[in-house]
Amino acid sequence: MIQKKVCMVGVFGTGKTSLVQRYIHSLFSAKYHSTVGVKIDRKQVRVGETDVNLLLWDVEGRTADQEIPASYLRGAHAVLLVADGTRRETVEQLFDLRELARSAAGDIPSIVALNKADLKDEWVLTAADTSKLITGGFHTLTTSAKTGEGVEDAFRWIATATMKDTLPAVQPQVRHGN
Amino acid sequence: MATETLSRAVRVDAFGLSHAGKVRSANEDHYAIMVLQRSIQLRSTNLQDTTILDRLRRPEVNILVVADGVGGAVGGKLASGVAVRTVVEYLAEAVGCVQDFDVDREQTFLDHLSRAVERGHERLKQMFQTQGGPATTLTMVTVVWPRAYVVHVGDSRGYFLRNGRLKQFTRDQTMGDYLVDIGAVTEQHAQKAGLYNVLSSAVGAELVPSVGVVDLEEGDTLLLCSDGLTKHVSNERIAELLGGSDPEAAVQALIDAALEGGGSDNVTVVVAKAVSE
Repeated sequence: MIQKKVCMVGVFGTGKTSLVQRYIHSLFSAKYHSTVGVKIDRKQVRVGETDVNLLLWDVEGRTADQEIPASYLRGAHAVLLVADGTRRETVEQLFDLRELARSAAGDIPSIVALNKADLKDEWVLTAADTSKLITGGFHTLTTSAKTGEGVEDAFRWIATATMKDTLPAVQPQVRHGN
Repeated sequence: MATETLSRAVRVDAFGLSHAGKVRSANEDHYAIMVLQRSIQLRSTNLQDTTILDRLRRPEVNILVVADGVGGAVGGKLASGVAVRTVVEYLAEAVGCVQDFDVDREQTFLDHLSRAVERGHERLKQMFQTQGGPATTLTMVTVVWPRAYVVHVGDSRGYFLRNGRLKQFTRDQTMGDYLVDIGAVTEQHAQKAGLYNVLSSAVGAELVPSVGVVDLEEGDTLLLCSDGLTKHVSNERIAELLGGSDPEAAVQALIDAALEGGGSDNVTVVVAKAVSE
């Protein structure tokens, strides 16, 4: 079976592990555990007529004193960049993180999950933030690991992107702050 | 990665010990430390350029396993022994695969490591076909420098020490952790009900292996241990005792600390240190 390595990349605490948990096990944990190294899960999906084994590399988050080791991203077929819509700095760092992924794995498909959409009152992203992402060439989706919103869509986009010569379309579903 | 390995010539020194503790009469823990290596030794040549040997040399594969049996003194001992032995046997059979290791095929490599644990699980299920038979935790770390591949089941633990900071790279698979995670119970309730003593995943019972990767750096120290250590010795103390350069001394010091702390359970400790050759 075709195997595709997908790396989850983002600043610490953006919900990378929670998105994988939601996608694989339909579970959500409110308790925060920081990932050390990489946690690897897999999920079999069907893209068109082809079965694909998605190898989900949930990579430890970037912190102020620890960069993400590029070695974890080597060989990746796609990257799911995760930001927290309630923390602007996690969005601002997406540009850097995309460069990190490109330097390690080449020009592979990537999509941004603007996560924690359930925290409506704390959402800080504005139209200007999101348009900066879109003009910067990012494909974005709003997700919530807690409610499941956008999670299947994000991973389906990733799975499809790993199998196509051209990237699939994405419907921008960006939530803005008040 | 393989190229980096060869040029940096890092060696992994490892040592392990297991002790029954001060309360239990039987030791239900087992551990194993293995090295798989294919090397070419040059006896004699008139070749001027012998760098080909570097290209032919395969990376050394260090495998560390700790297992803590559950299910009564005899059953638990049997379970952890069968699991570790089966993992060793499987990896010995698959040695060609391991020796042909290449980073581009690392998922296949990881699949083999997981399969080794599954083989142990199946062996136990065959031996004890009743529900609730003996089972075991199993934490296995396979180092192909600088990458450490982790397959983990149960509540034994894996840590690494880097620049004096101790980091746990495994997560306990207990009913307490699971139910607290999904918000079904509070930590206090889980503690009071003894749910942290009930495994949610074990070899020989409900098997849900967790698989991961940690990239190591020179000077890092790896620790694998059964919960007989962590229930008596704090992370701060573990970090202090791991800080020396000798794995054997660190293992002995950690076992001693667990015994001084009460020794209420079997305690098994494996320490590995990455050092420049």
